[in-house]
Amino acid sequence: SVSGECTSGVHSSPFFCFSCRCEFPSAANIFHIRYFKTSAVHRDEVVTVKTPAFAESVSEGDVRWEKAVGDSVTEDEVVCEIETDKTSVQVPAPAAGVIEELLVPDGGKVEGGTPLFKLRKGAGAAKAAPSPAVEAPAAAPPSPPPPPPPPTPTPAAMPPVPPQAPKAQPVSAVKPTHAAPGPSAAGSRGESRVKMNRMRLRIAQRLKEAQNTCAMLTTFNEVDMSNIQEMRKFHKDAFLKKHNIKLGFMSAFVKAAAHALTDQPAVNAVIDDTTKEIIYRDYVDISVAVATPKGLVVPVIRNVETMNFTDIEKAINALGEKARKNELAVEDMDGGTFTISNGGVFGSLFGTPIINPPQSAILGMHGIFDRPMAINGKVEIRPMMYVALTYDHRLVDGREAVTFLRKIKSVVEDPRVLMLDL
Amino acid sequence: MMSNVRRMVSLFKGVCRTRTCPVHTWTSGAGLVLQSRSTDVFQNLALEDWIEANVDLRQRGVLLLWRNRPAVVIGRHQNPWTECDLQAATKAGIHVARRRSGGGTVFHDLGNLNLTFFTSKKNYDRRRNLKMITDALRRVRPELDVQATDRLDIVLNGHLKISGTASRLRRDSSYHHCTLLHSADRSALSAVLRPSTSGIHSNATPSVPSPVANLVDHAPTLQWEELLEALVDQYNEEFGCTSALTSIDPSDEASFPGIGLFVSELSSWEWTFGKTPKFSVRTVLDLSEHRSAQLHLEVKNGLVASCQVLVPPDWIPQSLADQLSQVLVGERFCRHGAAAAAVSTLLRLDGTGGRLEELSKAVLRAMG
Repeated sequence: SVSGECTSGVHSSPFFCFSCRCEFPSAANIFHIRYFKTSAVHRDEVVTVKTPAFAESVSEGDVRWEKAVGDSVTEDEVVCEIETDKTSVQVPAPAAGVIEELLVPDGGKVEGGTPLFKLRKGAGAAKAAPSPAVEAPAAAPPSPPPPPPPPTPTPAAMPPVPPQAPKAQPVSAVKPTHAAPGPSAAGSRGESRVKMNRMRLRIAQRLKEAQNTCAMLTTFNEVDMSNIQEMRKFHKDAFLKKHNIKLGFMSAFVKAAAHALTDQPAVNAVIDDTTKEIIYRDYVDISVAVATPKGLVVPVIRNVETMNFTDIEKAINALGEKARKNELAVEDMDGGTFTISNGGVFGSLFGTPIINPPQSAILGMHGIFDRPMAINGKVEIRPMMYVALTYDHRLVDGREAVTFLRKIKSVVEDPRVLMLDL
Repeated sequence: MMSNVRRMVSLFKGVCRTRTCPVHTWTSGAGLVLQSRSTDVFQNLALEDWIEANVDLRQRGVLLLWRNRPAVVIGRHQNPWTECDLQAATKAGIHVARRRSGGGTVFHDLGNLNLTFFTSKKNYDRRRNLKMITDALRRVRPELDVQATDRLDIVLNGHLKISGTASRLRRDSSYHHCTLLHSADRSALSAVLRPSTSGIHSNATPSVPSPVANLVDHAPTLQWEELLEALVDQYNEEFGCTSALTSIDPSDEASFPGIGLFVSELSSWEWTFGKTPKFSVRTVLDLSEHRSAQLHLEVKNGLVASCQVLVPPDWIPQSLADQLSQVLVGERFCRHGAAAAAVSTLLRLDGTGGRLEELSKAVLRAMG
């Protein structure tokens, strides 16, 4: 046996080179892929790629497919990996083309020389891998559909639980491209019909039921945000330093709502239609609508009546983090006695939120915009936010609703009200 | 910044600082020994990718020494749900990572040394690498009975595993990496290396459990630095060069341009979980009043491809259970996140506090 380098570079056997008669010591492994033209019909188009020879007397390995039938590949792109004896060996495509057939199932065992797959050569023949087909609701694409734009059915309506669940459904109804097909040719007047998925139907049904059972009314007010903004400006650095999170103004509204809810228990209660009872709750669990890349989720802050601004800010922050990292558990989203929804993040000025059943009221926050206000007989520019309270009039009467909203306004405009329990 | 890059480039162009290396011991050029300063599993795995992609290994080999803060590292074709209790790992702050090489699951911590031997395909020789390690160990502690086995493990006293091997072969390059148990915390292991959920049927590469031991259990005076030094010396001797141990920082994007991309890929959900071979879950869910439901899920690319929940007909209508199944299709096989959000929306619509809620929560618990 002759050891040392062989310069011919191509060997038909892993262990013996015919051209220079050198024999490879078993310690050196060289992997080759042999190409054979096997198809009689498409003699120059389809190649069968075989399993490379294994080294160190390993007899077989498991195939793990990276590509599927119909995928187009470039030269040297990895088509599959073969796992043998703790080694992962990549099998690249010998040329650009389209995968015609996989000859071994995923996880199947192969030996050196076993035919692996058929490749139809030619970059021109390559067709793009079919994107997840828009099929009947039952079909599941391999990857989740892209998140649709924030759902705002009409500018005035602000659903507290926008149908984020449809994103879970692999149905075209949710995909923006189908909901609003761009004109393929200028002035074309075609139509496309897309079936509504079950979740969307169910949500629609439930919303209508809620509207039919609750006597929904909305009362409005406006909040002067100057004091809260000043408080934030003044204390934000110290707050960040001590508590390691940013001081937002959501906590002010959540705290204000909790204060108002303990003050007006009817708003925190709910009617049980089956037993015709009113259920009063002595705890306040506030559902906060949070926008995530995958849509709106509504995690719940529990027992808000026991928390101060900082506790609330920490809770909101923690839930926001969890939502962002996709770590919200189903228990985090259970229940809730009252919902706060912030349309302001989308730039909303004014609007009527819709109650999130089975609750009796929802607070809608909107955008903060500078407006001229009459202050002590003079006109001053103040940062103002419109707030809306939609409530179930069967349970909450007008006076209670207005008082409730005014209480929120007074706490946010002057948080000292809380200190003095006014 | 630029001087860093130049220094790295010159390191890898491999000017062998001291003497010329005899040709017969290495094809040509020197070996290079590097030690990573990072203890982040994703950064270190990314560093392996970077070296493989950027260093010309035809002229010289590279030995990389590294260790990680507690992490579970699964093989390229394994199933993280069968190998690791993901809830327990998250709770304990233990990362779960999928490496590029094959083989089984390993638990990394600061007492577990990793060695990666980068060579050209031609010089790929795992037994030689393991021999280097056993020679180093015997040199520094001659009383240790260490041997490399046929399965490319290193065992102490004939049966206690102190090292496991995995490798990766690409068109032009290869690497062989292995662990070396110096002083790992084995108690943390048992809590985490068990399935996340029952009923998984998978043809992913399984792990082969073996009894393990730490070097310090049998050579209590062997310090970490002493071990590293012995390995470096032996590497230089075995592969015929003198290379000092060079410490590097993989988080330095300036010295390792493009490494950030490798880190993002390796830490992404799509890589760690999405690359799991197709598997199915078949299990029985225990419900209240001694009732039960059957769950059958197919998971592909880490996402629920199909779901069937069969409930006793008098418990809740099958149509309601089907709604639950539908909601889960297309979501990640994970009890948190989008699946939880979808379920919670369903519950809000169809009434909480009932049997549907109980069923939904049982199904979610069965999801990883």
